[in-house]
Amino acid sequence: MNGTRSKHGAAVAGFSPATLDAFFALAHAGNLPGGVDILTGEAGREATGTRVRFTLRVAGDCVVEARFQAYGCPHTLAVANWIAGVLPGRRLEALVPGTPAEWAGRFEVPAPKLGRLLVIEDALRDCVAKWRGGDHGRAVRRTMAP
Amino acid sequence: MPVAPAYLDNAATTAVDPRVAALMAQCLTAEGTFGNASSTHVYGREAAARIATARREVAAVIGARPEEIVFTSGATEASNLALLGTARANADRRHHLVTSRTEHHATLDPLRQLEREGWAVTRLTPDGEGRVSAEAVRAALRPDTLLVSIMHVNNETGVVQDVAAIGAVCRAAGVLFHADLAQSIGKLPTAQIADRIDFGSFTAHKIHGPKGIGALYVAAAARPWIAPIVHGGGQERGLRSGTLPTHQIVGFGRAAALAASEGAADAGRMRALRTLLWNGLAALPRVYPNSPLEDGSPAILNVAFAGVEGESLVTALTDIAVSTGSACSSASGEPSYVLRALGRTAELAQSSLRFSFGRDTQVVDVERAIAAVRAAVTRLREVAP
Repeated sequence: MNGTRSKHGAAVAGFSPATLDAFFALAHAGNLPGGVDILTGEAGREATGTRVRFTLRVAGDCVVEARFQAYGCPHTLAVANWIAGVLPGRRLEALVPGTPAEWAGRFEVPAPKLGRLLVIEDALRDCVAKWRGGDHGRAVRRTMAP
Repeated sequence: MPVAPAYLDNAATTAVDPRVAALMAQCLTAEGTFGNASSTHVYGREAAARIATARREVAAVIGARPEEIVFTSGATEASNLALLGTARANADRRHHLVTSRTEHHATLDPLRQLEREGWAVTRLTPDGEGRVSAEAVRAALRPDTLLVSIMHVNNETGVVQDVAAIGAVCRAAGVLFHADLAQSIGKLPTAQIADRIDFGSFTAHKIHGPKGIGALYVAAAARPWIAPIVHGGGQERGLRSGTLPTHQIVGFGRAAALAASEGAADAGRMRALRTLLWNGLAALPRVYPNSPLEDGSPAILNVAFAGVEGESLVTALTDIAVSTGSACSSASGEPSYVLRALGRTAELAQSSLRFSFGRDTQVVDVERAIAAVRAAVTRLREVAP
């Protein structure tokens, strides 16, 4: 069979080994239990093929734990997974780790798909906007104490 | 040794039947039938004889006469010949063409080209299952309509069009009728279909024959209405110039003969496999068929998995080879125009897979598909927001 072979044994044309390894592991997928220290940000719509949500546990202005959920193509899932893995330790005012173009380079995302990475960036920016707007944990508190 | 993925993408192409391959191998080397069928010497006459046999076999699978078969490079070229060839031969008399929104690009794109050349094209919207009624075709006809092009079996959903009824409407109105038969040969009874259409496009590689060879059926009565789009040596009674590829035509002939003799049995087996697959997939929540389960092609099952993105689903399915119903792998993010025309939401169209069966498909392939799809859908739904 032709195509790139990742360490997970998958051979799929059109994807780099880094993308496939991340896609088949998705070690940082999931959610975090709600609480006042939880910040969520999301962007995109299923109807347009990409929706991404990050859930962060923060202490002060620093991320201590991060998870992602995503509906999207393998590139989207792989990049979101990588980002969730590098967010812990980052300060919210400098939350976005690099640029979509840099992520595209790391995972060999084809140029026409760059728009999907912008959705990931928008989800991170939504986290920052909610932190700046004081939404930190508010939605969770509403859910917990109606 | 790793096990090869189960192949469930036979609507894209099929493996060449070993009986076909063996015959083709006889037409390649110096010891075989390698001559040019246009030559008058013994090598040429031998090739011409084998091509004549194959032409009879190809004609028989649709109930045509051998002289009504024009060999082409495939169904795409055949459809281009039917559409461009009739339009350009009749541009001074007619100016309107009719098709449906769910046709293959081999039909839609030449029609788009004809629009650029000044033709009017009506694209009919099918019903929710993908059917275009003969009445809808009748209503679309105009005094200047030249031709209607409706495919027999849709390549994405397997919906079967009533070509007999549509053909009758066209015949009564004095309008030519072209049908794309690429997905119906060997899966549905087609031995009488030539009586109902004026032009029919089909190809070898969908019926366990070789790639690179197809045919356009041109009914004898329709021959004056079509002109060539490829010019050269005047082969194929002037309709398609170019040296005839003996090995491919011989392979096409054998594949067609096998489709004629074994197609009914193959179809019965495929229908049982299709039912087995649907029953296995329907156990998952939020799974919807895009194919007519009762009367669709036995070879195609298109299923939507809500909440799962199509390209990720296909990529996760390393144990099976299937086709996504969406075009998102091309990075456009656009869902299948066929499924959208049927009224499916963009999400469901994007979350759809096409499973398609062939002569080689076994129960174990379907069982592997059920297990793999269940696991992948569950995992991707867990990851989704």
